[in-house]
Amino acid sequence: MSGRRSGSGVSSISDDQITHLVFKLQQLIPELCARRSLKASASKVLQETCDYIRNLHKEVEDLSDRLSQLLASIDTDNDQAAIVRSLLM
Amino acid sequence: MHFLGSVELLSLSATSFPLLLSRLNFLLFSLSIQEQVLARMRSPFSLKQEFLKKWILGLQRCRSSKKNMSIFKRKKVIKLSADVAMASARKGTTCWSRALIADAVKEGNADKHLAEKILGPASERQPTEKVPVGAMAYNKRIRSKKILKRSSVIRRTIKCAPQAARPSSIVKTLVGKRRQILRSLIPGGEFMNGVSLIEETLDYIISLRAQVDVMRSLASASKLVNLN
Repeated sequence: MSGRRSGSGVSSISDDQITHLVFKLQQLIPELCARRSLKASASKVLQETCDYIRNLHKEVEDLSDRLSQLLASIDTDNDQAAIVRSLLM
Repeated sequence: MHFLGSVELLSLSATSFPLLLSRLNFLLFSLSIQEQVLARMRSPFSLKQEFLKKWILGLQRCRSSKKNMSIFKRKKVIKLSADVAMASARKGTTCWSRALIADAVKEGNADKHLAEKILGPASERQPTEKVPVGAMAYNKRIRSKKILKRSSVIRRTIKCAPQAARPSSIVKTLVGKRRQILRSLIPGGEFMNGVSLIEETLDYIISLRAQVDVMRSLASASKLVNLN
């Protein structure tokens, strides 16, 4: 175990990869983006990521609530569905 | 802001849902020019379009014979069809999307029948293996194991070189409590590790944002229609 360092080349690439991915994650999260700091620590990024995902989940819940109240009915007629479909394709 | 202005100009008087959707789609097209300028990873506009298309399909499949659906049921249908649409927009290319759909139709899930209705006939569905199989995923798992092994080696050998410990601190973060929390938040997270976990997180966040944006646009448009 102490002598076996043969995999070091591959592992350091993976470390760089992870660092790069964590940086990309940082760019996605509005909390960390706004502060314009070069690189937040990985643990900070992960923490903010978890918070951000939880916020997004909550937003989806709230929007589903609002939409269910706003939309009188979700039934659609056949020809109007065809119109919508032809517009989208 | 620009979006809402266009909505007013269109002087929406229709209250029917499909007409609303066709107008929303027109607005999405006009938004697309702005979106394309701002587009970063993987063309967010086409993702929104794909999501909207699948969401509408799912909603149509839930057309019920009884006209008066309870508000509670309606909310469930809207949310479930939105989640399923978001996942199937990925066409089985990501682990989280496959896991989301697999969970939705799992035996013992209370809303299994609803999910199956939304997904439509089996012939039209995407592949839904729960655990990612295949060479790519296997290599990722091997890489993840190497990362974990390396982290334990580093922790044991490096004692007085704090700078050199930086790469391992990132790895240590990934084996910590926060990783567990992140895994619990992402569908199928328990099967992901290291690099694949972060890649899936990136994709999941992008998809969630697209979902929220489209739903929010529809809510704004609906509200304006109801005011007329």
